[in-house]
Amino acid sequence: MNDHLSNDLLVDFVHRELSPADDAMAHAHLAGCVACREAYELEATLTEALRSAAKADEREFPSLVSAAVWDRIRHAEPGPFAKLAAWLRPAYALPVAAAVLIGGFFVSPLAHPAAHPTIAASYYLEAHAAQSAITPLSERSSSPALETSMIAPGSPRGQDDGAAAGAVDVVR
Amino acid sequence: MGEPRTPLEPPTPEQAAFLERAMTQYGKATYNFAYRLTGNEADARDLTQDAFVRVYRAWRSFSPGTSFLSWIYRIVTNLYRDELRRRKGRFQEEIPEDNAPQEFGGQRPLAVTPIDDFVDRQLSEPLSKALAQLSGDQRQVVVLADIEEYSYQEIAEIMGCSIGTVRSRLHRARALLRRLVERAQAQQER
Repeated sequence: MNDHLSNDLLVDFVHRELSPADDAMAHAHLAGCVACREAYELEATLTEALRSAAKADEREFPSLVSAAVWDRIRHAEPGPFAKLAAWLRPAYALPVAAAVLIGGFFVSPLAHPAAHPTIAASYYLEAHAAQSAITPLSERSSSPALETSMIAPGSPRGQDDGAAAGAVDVVR
Repeated sequence: MGEPRTPLEPPTPEQAAFLERAMTQYGKATYNFAYRLTGNEADARDLTQDAFVRVYRAWRSFSPGTSFLSWIYRIVTNLYRDELRRRKGRFQEEIPEDNAPQEFGGQRPLAVTPIDDFVDRQLSEPLSKALAQLSGDQRQVVVLADIEEYSYQEIAEIMGCSIGTVRSRLHRARALLRRLVERAQAQQER
C-alpha cells in the first residue's frame, strides 16, 4: 500500500469490512488519488452490476416445489417411531391391553387359588392334641390345645369341629 | 439433486405450520439463491425442495430470534456443496481456484471500465454467465456478499468457514470475475 490501495482492500472497502482506521485511511486516499478512485468505482460497479443482474433474473418460487415437498413428506415411508406410535393409538392399544390383562390373569396365581397350600383346621387340632398326649406335662404343650380343652362342649366355638371335642378328651 | 430418501415422520400441526410459513415467506428467496448457485432451474428446484425437506426434518433446531434466511441459506449451501462433490466433473465446468497475479501492482491503469458497458447495455446475462464460470465456493461467496449483502461474519457462519477464508475467496472470485468480464468485452469489440 505504498502508492495505491490494493484491489483486495478496495473489495473490503466496497463491502464495508475494513476496520475504522483502515476505512478512514482509504477514504482519505481515495479523495486524493484519481487512479484508486477509478479502481474503487470499478469494484463498486461490479457489485452493482451483480445486484442488478440478479434482480433482472429474479424468479418466482415455483408452486410445484412446494407441492413436491409436501408430497415427499406425506408419501414417505413412516419411520420406526411412527410405526410404534401407530400401534399406540387407542383403536389398537385398548384391545391389546385388554388381551394382555386377561392373559396375565390366567397365568397368575389369582386364577388358581387351589394351588396355595392350606392347613385344615381339623388336622391342626389333631396334631396338637397328639403332641399334648405324648407330653402332657410339658410346658411347651400346645397352648391352643389347652385353650381348646377349656372350651365348654356346648359352646358355639366348641361345636365348630368334632376333632376339637376329641382333643379335649385326650387331654383329660 | 435428490437427497437420500430416509423415512419421514408424519407432520405435527406445528411442524406443518412451520414448513408452510417457511415456504410462503422464504420460498422465493431460497429458490433464487439456489438458482444463482446452480445456474439452472431444474437443479435449483431440486435443491430448494431438498432444503425445505431438511427444514421440515430439523425444524426444532432452528432458534427463534435468529435469521431464518441465514439458516436456510446454510442448508442450501451445504446441500449444494454435497451435490457438487457427488457430481464432481459433470455438474459444470469448474474453473480452478484463481491465483492470478495482483493487478495494478505498480502503476494503475486508468479508466478501463468494461463493467460500466455491461451495466449500460443491461448485459445481465453475460455477467450471470461469468458468475457461472466461478468455482462453487467462489460463486457462493460472491452471491452471499454482493447479491445477498451479507457481512463476512455472516457468510463465514453460513459457509462454515473462517472470515479469512471468506475474504480470500471473495478477493479471488472478484479478480476472476473482472478478468472474465474484460475478456467478454474484448470479444465483443472484435
